[in-house]
Amino acid sequence: MSFPTLAVMVLLPTLAALVVALVPKRRPELVYPLSLTLSFLPLAMVGYVLWEFEVGAPGYQFTQQVLWFEPLGISWNVGVDGISLLLLVLTAILFPLSIAASKSVAKNQKMYMVAMLLLETGMLGVFVALDLLLFFAFFEITLVPMYLLIGIWGSGNRVYAALKFVLYTALGSALMLTGIIWLGAITGTFDFTQILDATITPTQQAWLFLGFGIAFAVKVPIFPFHTWLPDAHTEAPTAGSVLLAGVLLKLGTYGFIRFNLTLFPDAAVRFAPWLASLAVIGIIYGAAVAIVQPDVKRLVAYSSVSHLGFIILGIFAMTSQGITGGVIQMVNHGLSTGALFLLVGMIYERRHTRLIADYGGIAKVMPVFAGLFLFSVFASAGLPGLNGFIGEFKILLGSYLRFPVAAVVAAGGVILAAVYLLWAYERVFTGPIVHKENSKLIDLDRREILIIAPLVALIVFLGVYPKPALDRIEPAVEEVLERIEQATDYTVPEFGTPEDLANVGGGQ
Amino acid sequence: MENIAFLPIAPEIAALAGAVIVLMSAAALGQERREWGVAGAVALLVAVALSVLQWLRLDSLESARELAFSARGVTSAVQNPMVVMDRFSAVVGVAVYLVAFLALVGNWRLVETLSERGAEYLALVLLSAAGLHMMVISSNLVLLFMGLETASIALYVIAGFTRTERNSDESALKYFLLGSFASAIFIYGVALVYAGTGSISIYGSAGIRQFFSTQPVAVLDVGILLTGIALIIVGLAFKVTAAPFHQWAPDVYQGAASGSVSLMAAGVKVAAVGALIRLLMGAFGTRIDDWAPLLAILAAASVVIGTIGAIGQRDLKRMLAYSGVAHAGFMLTAFVAGGVAIPSILFYLFTYVIALVGAFTITGIVSGVGSGSSAFDDYKGLNERSPWVAGTLAVFMLGLGGIPFFSGFVGKFAVFTQAISVGYLWLVIVALVASIAGLFFYLRVVVLMYFEDSALAEAPGTATAAPRMTGGSGSVVLGTAALTILLGVVPWPLLNLLRFVL
Repeated sequence: MSFPTLAVMVLLPTLAALVVALVPKRRPELVYPLSLTLSFLPLAMVGYVLWEFEVGAPGYQFTQQVLWFEPLGISWNVGVDGISLLLLVLTAILFPLSIAASKSVAKNQKMYMVAMLLLETGMLGVFVALDLLLFFAFFEITLVPMYLLIGIWGSGNRVYAALKFVLYTALGSALMLTGIIWLGAITGTFDFTQILDATITPTQQAWLFLGFGIAFAVKVPIFPFHTWLPDAHTEAPTAGSVLLAGVLLKLGTYGFIRFNLTLFPDAAVRFAPWLASLAVIGIIYGAAVAIVQPDVKRLVAYSSVSHLGFIILGIFAMTSQGITGGVIQMVNHGLSTGALFLLVGMIYERRHTRLIADYGGIAKVMPVFAGLFLFSVFASAGLPGLNGFIGEFKILLGSYLRFPVAAVVAAGGVILAAVYLLWAYERVFTGPIVHKENSKLIDLDRREILIIAPLVALIVFLGVYPKPALDRIEPAVEEVLERIEQATDYTVPEFGTPEDLANVGGGQ
Repeated sequence: MENIAFLPIAPEIAALAGAVIVLMSAAALGQERREWGVAGAVALLVAVALSVLQWLRLDSLESARELAFSARGVTSAVQNPMVVMDRFSAVVGVAVYLVAFLALVGNWRLVETLSERGAEYLALVLLSAAGLHMMVISSNLVLLFMGLETASIALYVIAGFTRTERNSDESALKYFLLGSFASAIFIYGVALVYAGTGSISIYGSAGIRQFFSTQPVAVLDVGILLTGIALIIVGLAFKVTAAPFHQWAPDVYQGAASGSVSLMAAGVKVAAVGALIRLLMGAFGTRIDDWAPLLAILAAASVVIGTIGAIGQRDLKRMLAYSGVAHAGFMLTAFVAGGVAIPSILFYLFTYVIALVGAFTITGIVSGVGSGSSAFDDYKGLNERSPWVAGTLAVFMLGLGGIPFFSGFVGKFAVFTQAISVGYLWLVIVALVASIAGLFFYLRVVVLMYFEDSALAEAPGTATAAPRMTGGSGSVVLGTAALTILLGVVPWPLLNLLRFVL
């Protein structure tokens, strides 16, 4: 048996959590450096997977299957394809940064770090699981540490936000679990690759699509299931918001591609117009609500609703460009929104307010902060040359092929994004300093700049040279689309060749 | 003498002998001695060991294993056997006596505080444990009823044991009145079944099982038989706290001393579910199409009523009582699949009582073993006062809530798979939605312990400032918490073992 790379990768954070938990009570100063150091181990493992990953090879790599419990048909069945690979990288990068940003957590820092590291195991596990029950187990277990992170270390209305978050997402997953068990009863297995070969009637597909779909729709969140998100994002501690927006929401979009499109192609084709419509509503609604938010964090939260709408639109356009754009946009959103939440957290630590009205003109006292913030705003708004542009462009291109009206309306969302982001920037950073507390603000120190720097580098890298990422995503996306074409009478609309489109997207 | 096989009733003999020895020697040597507690615990351990021995002996008795739930072994050749010994009774015996043992050791302080009545209490615990197991080993319905009554009467007394607490009196009286009512219903059902089949024995060549498999359908006196089966189910539903026969549980649990509730809640549940399996799958297995819809309705009602009831509670013991109603419902969902579901039901049952015993032990630690209520206020900010107590209670809550990688998730998955395999999709959807709603009240306990500040400063109650685990309660709590996690991550040893019951 080959080296269980993925198992080690998934379990490393749990081991790290155990090590951190063993730090004696009288040495609290050890917790932060130890957690930070240990959080680089999973990153190293993911780096190794990224390095060894064979570009363009069909199917899953690093697969490992160990029968966990035979009578119930549960197995430890993991593997990586181009889609999950990028999300693994995103997860592994965001965790050390979030931990680094949590240096000033005062209340029970040890438990905080343990929760963070356990959360990482759950998130890495979701992206590699190829057994439906294993997937569900990881999907569900992420709730517990996130619940604690929001509930214990959150601000203001944290208990309400934490409970709302858990109950919304858990209710969705109850339907998914019913679907998984039913699917197991129909096909006789929980093995993802075996279910691919099983026949599921269109009626069954429709119900299963709904069962899985509602769970993922809550997670993404798709309008109208989004109401938990602004509360959870706003009340969560900085690292919690970063990971919620950066990774946790992607569990939903990833689930849509991996399960809803792949396992239930017939139902996916049937429901695609509905989901695309909801996505467009989400794009416009999220952006419109973001414009009027007085609270910076809430503004970024609603911008996530809008951005995730783009991803869903791309996925359910069911074109090569659309899905590829959706996947790359998952990564982009994680990077740019992650950076925004980190920056908001840094200013919150200084002033303990998130209200836009309490700021104004602080670019004068915090030039570095202002520059990094503007940069992240541009990335989030999809400025050409930065990462967001590639994703949104591909999504709009791909969705235009299938749903031209939706694509045109969604393009309006891009403009709205520029409105709410730049207007917020203007009110916070430009003009004279109105409140005199702001005149004494200290600019970012070296640690804080180092936290943002990797994100800036990746944003630029993916904006200028997205080819390495796209090369890995596209074969996986093609496999999904081929499967849909085989299983249904749906043909993927295309214009030009994929190479042309890659070039349009700012590649070589 | 050589015709009598003692092994099938050996665990009962051990427990009853323990009760007699403790009572007699206490009368001779004085009540206030810790040795009686040790003697009781040892008697229960011996009973556990004898149950294990039964299992091992059965392994060597048989070589072939057929996929049907039938009693085999020493009694199978008899015409009207009184007791059966099969792997099912053996494994339930291990569970019953182990729960009684953990309930005793985990609440050792109760035995100490009762001082002059400690021996009586111990005798009652041993007596009820023996009665509970008797419900599962009986092949004769009247003997089963006697086991039920032995256990119940001992438990009525235990419920009222702390005479100084007013709630305790209420608890005992309520338990007694409603319990007797349920017993009457049960025995009426037995009488009707006897009228319909001409037998009060489950197994044996003249037993009910044989009757159902040999008689043509037309001969069966359907009206009387079905009424009898329904009444038997109702009588046992009372004991497993299935809705709508559950109302006694919250008041009784809250009134009785915290230290004695583990046995009352967990022990009774094990035996009652065991008896229900024995009767429905063993005696009436061929009539599954008649009773399965009834069970499905009971299950759905239990999960919904239990969950809704638990949401409003402000006392951990009452909350656990209502959650127990929901858990009874979860177990009942798998009954509709018939005999093949037994390992799944037993797995759920065992993981549930493990977490339940742990949680009730913690109510004893936090609110005092002799105290009746265990208000949520006692748990506010518990993490800062006693992180270990809070941490283990959080594990039990997550386990009962069915979070993945905790035992409850595997159990739920196992029973729901059974129900879906026979087409009860609606039942599983109802149960799953209820189980998610259930997260609300399990997580609220976590909220209290971790998110809120201690309320003790404003309202000093019965709770101690910083609850400490003692040697006994600590080992029970840590052991059950470890099992709750372990059985969630590596469930297959137990699941595989339970499959031998079939």
